[in-house]
Amino acid sequence: MSTLLKLKKINLKYQTGKKSISVLKNIDLVIKKKETVSVVGESGSGKTSLIMLIGGLERPTSGKIIFNEKEITSLHEDEISEIRKKNIGIIFQSFYLIPNYTAVENVALTLELNEFKNPEKEAKILLDRFGLKHRFNNLPSQLSGGEQQRVAIARAIAMRPDLILADEPTGNLDTENSLLISSILFNYVKEEGSSLIMVTHDPKLADKAKRKIKIKDGKIK
Amino acid sequence: MEKLNKNSKFNLVFKYALKDLSRNYRKISSIIVTLFISLFILSAIFTIEDSLTKELNDNAKVLLGGDLEIDYNRNQGDLNLVNKVKEFSTVSQMIEFSTMLSTVDRTKNKSLFTRIKTVDEKYPLYGNVIYEPKGAFERMQKEPNTILINESLSKTLKIKINEKVKVQDQSFTVIGIIKSVPDVSGFVAFGDWALAGKQTLEILKLNGIGSFLNYEYKVKFYLNDDPNKIERKIENIFKDDEKVKLRYPENSASGLKRIINSFSQFLSLVSISAMLIAGIGIANTLLSFINQNNMSIAVRKAVGFYSGNIKTLYYLQLLILLFIITIISYASSFLIVPVADKYLSDGLGLNVYPKFSLVNYIKIFLVGLLVLIIFSIPTISSIDQVKASNLFRNVFQNLQFYYSKKSISLSIFLLSTLVLIFTFGSEKASYSLGYFGAFFICLIVFFLLSKIVIYLLKKFNFSSNIPLKVSIKNITQAKSITPITIMSLGLGVTLLLTLALVGTNFKREIARSIPDIAPDYFFVGIQKGEKEKFEKGIYKMDPNANIEIVPMVSSGIVKINGINPNTYIKPDNDSYWVIGSERRSSWVEAIPKDNPILKGNWWDLSKPNELQISLDAKVAKDFNIKLGDIFTLNIYGREIDGKVINFREVDYRDLSINFAMLFNPQFAENIPHEYLATAKFNDANKFDETLMLEVLPSLSMIKIADYLSKVTAVLNKVFIAVTLISAVTIVIGLIVISSAIMVQGKVKEYQNLVFKILGFSKKDIVYSSLIEFIIIFMSVILIATFFAVIGSKFIIENIFDLVWKFDFKVLIYLGFSVGLITLILIMITNLKYLNPKVYPLIRNQ
Repeated sequence: MSTLLKLKKINLKYQTGKKSISVLKNIDLVIKKKETVSVVGESGSGKTSLIMLIGGLERPTSGKIIFNEKEITSLHEDEISEIRKKNIGIIFQSFYLIPNYTAVENVALTLELNEFKNPEKEAKILLDRFGLKHRFNNLPSQLSGGEQQRVAIARAIAMRPDLILADEPTGNLDTENSLLISSILFNYVKEEGSSLIMVTHDPKLADKAKRKIKIKDGKIK
Repeated sequence: MEKLNKNSKFNLVFKYALKDLSRNYRKISSIIVTLFISLFILSAIFTIEDSLTKELNDNAKVLLGGDLEIDYNRNQGDLNLVNKVKEFSTVSQMIEFSTMLSTVDRTKNKSLFTRIKTVDEKYPLYGNVIYEPKGAFERMQKEPNTILINESLSKTLKIKINEKVKVQDQSFTVIGIIKSVPDVSGFVAFGDWALAGKQTLEILKLNGIGSFLNYEYKVKFYLNDDPNKIERKIENIFKDDEKVKLRYPENSASGLKRIINSFSQFLSLVSISAMLIAGIGIANTLLSFINQNNMSIAVRKAVGFYSGNIKTLYYLQLLILLFIITIISYASSFLIVPVADKYLSDGLGLNVYPKFSLVNYIKIFLVGLLVLIIFSIPTISSIDQVKASNLFRNVFQNLQFYYSKKSISLSIFLLSTLVLIFTFGSEKASYSLGYFGAFFICLIVFFLLSKIVIYLLKKFNFSSNIPLKVSIKNITQAKSITPITIMSLGLGVTLLLTLALVGTNFKREIARSIPDIAPDYFFVGIQKGEKEKFEKGIYKMDPNANIEIVPMVSSGIVKINGINPNTYIKPDNDSYWVIGSERRSSWVEAIPKDNPILKGNWWDLSKPNELQISLDAKVAKDFNIKLGDIFTLNIYGREIDGKVINFREVDYRDLSINFAMLFNPQFAENIPHEYLATAKFNDANKFDETLMLEVLPSLSMIKIADYLSKVTAVLNKVFIAVTLISAVTIVIGLIVISSAIMVQGKVKEYQNLVFKILGFSKKDIVYSSLIEFIIIFMSVILIATFFAVIGSKFIIENIFDLVWKFDFKVLIYLGFSVGLITLILIMITNLKYLNPKVYPLIRNQ
């Protein structure tokens, strides 16, 4: 398997007043194409910061991130947005659907951004695949938590990204919905061949990934 | 990596802008309302002004009454020259004069000083006379002793069709009522007037000065002739005739145009103030809207939207909104035109019709766009502060106005453009510029005031009264609406109070002059042999009447120091009227009591054979006249040189007898003259105009009270319009305040919930809101009064040249009314936050 992502000596520091807090320290990480990786660790260990850096949503204090053989750390914000738009899908713990868009419209947003020919049609196919045929035109407020997360996953994977970043995707869900969401996610990754980096506190979910990374005090153990 | 091309990127952003706008329009309803009101007012002003200007331009020939006008003023003119013009064009002769028109056969007959226009059968050369009943106009031209009167005259004297009236000692039958005549530019269409056939002149005794005679010949060119060539030909015919004045359509209604331009300039400035106040509210509502969409913006960034694209999305929404609102407000402004038409046709005899103008629409759109962009730059720029990474942390920072060097420069540039649009091209650019300067100074002062209020209240911490403490906390807390409330309310109240003070001072000055100084009547047309008869007639009715009689002669200034003044003094000069046509002049032995000499000496008795002139000091200043300058006057066809030997201060507003030029009596006594008289009665009811006309049938009487009540009625209408428009700024200010309260709604609701839990009663919450309002309003009203006093004093003393007085009653009434309305609005807006729903709030839903 060829390399999709390479992190070289990544450091991330936050400045709070005069104090500097080191969140990630000298992280070296390689993620191969089609690989599924779970990131575990205690709260505040730096898990979310790590996927924020990978997604290009934050810039490291030092070090290099190479995605698809392109160094992204030095790119302009708009160029990183372009990469994220086409190649990285992000799933959040709190779903973050646009409240005044219907389920279809939320999914179609990324498809339209990527110039798909029939974005709404594609979105419907995807939602149907996730068992949401009866919820096409519902607003997020009319959906249950599990349904909202399924829509959020559909939105993240709609443009068939090379990499999916998931931050506690089942953190806000009950057991039944957690199982459903994890099976949808892993089945998709398997079928479509995307890579997955998933932050989770759930050991069962973490075990589903091929590789498990543990972070403690900003370092990979 | 492949990038979206610019077009498809724009299409995508545009599509989402439309989608977001269709879903969110309720959340930005206050933007829609304030934008609509301010643009509607601006559109209404532009539309009416445009319709009027178009009416004047399109109908320039109609308003003049021909392709060219030959004006001989008080003389019949050289008929040989006029006949030469008749050889190659159609000429219509008309003579206007003023005289008394009285009712007859009534128990108490009434008389009115009326302007009568006699016309021949060719009249009108352009346009139509609107009258009733059918055929009356044609009858008037054929049948002697028939007359058509206008609606105002018919109403004032309650004259019906077929009723007899008396003009001088002749009886006339009123055979119709005129609604309008086309050639209003040179004719007094405002007030009381009548139309009569040309044969009328032969049966009436008219004199040059007292009857205000005016001879005009309107010329219509033949259809196939080249107008320029014909104009040159006519100019050539009259080139040696110094008494004639040729007028052309392009300057037919220049006076009217100036009034319209000045008035619309003022209204435009008031409306742009309303727009700028609306801008403050728009910025605030927009910031709250973006804050509400904080998460959606972060999500968009997370899925790959550029920050620039998201900003474009919001700008596009505003642009679409503006486009729709400008169309609606521009279309709605057409509904105002019939109202304006009613006022204008009554007042000026002009009719306006709604006319679509793309240029006007673009102007309105451009102004709206500039205001919108200026106020949305710091708001929409705050989108840069939204981070997609916040989605991981589930923390959304409250966005604040964001200023960068680039955005500040752009805002200043756009603001300057806006100011320039309203300044250049306006009637008096310096006034516009001064107005904007004052507006922005007020804005800055009110902003600083809000900061001072907050600073002082923060220091005030020695009260144990809980509602007072809460209200102070509300005013001083970070992100409070205090600056917005103080700025929008302050500007609106300042504008309203200023205009109210200007209005009351203006009206008081007019009203004040009637009883104190002015006579009850002016009498014109008293001939040399009628002086005693006149005095007898007056004293018979009121032996205690105070009469002032002065000789009067008509003269025109032909040259000043050997040069024709019309060649270098322009019509926009304030004193142009002195050289524009022949003026009436008089002579007196002693210096008039109310005309003190400012420079020079009174008559030099050692030179009785030389014409000496005492000149109005303002005219001297406007024409740059020095003592010793020579005026060549045309008096009854003779050119006489006179030396200016002193300047007098003349106050025409005292309505007593005043002349721009006075002559030395030693020289002037020999000039043929008539008399002008004024009379102040012990009891004005003792004077009977109709009885006086029996003594002197050709006498003209002008009742000052009637004249002033007509002027006051017109002014009242103007002030109602001005006050209504300025009240709009208050309405917009109130919308801005209520939207600012609603922006705080969630915080307020949560705060009230906490109060509820802590055992605070509704009464306490209302009480704290009341204290909050009183603190803010008191500070606003004090500063607004200060600005209103300075502003109105400047306008009254420097622009209208009147005496300014502080009107405490008006300030109290208006201040109290505005305060009460604001308080009610604040209470109503706050009412819905008084009963917070506990469950959703404590579950953070």
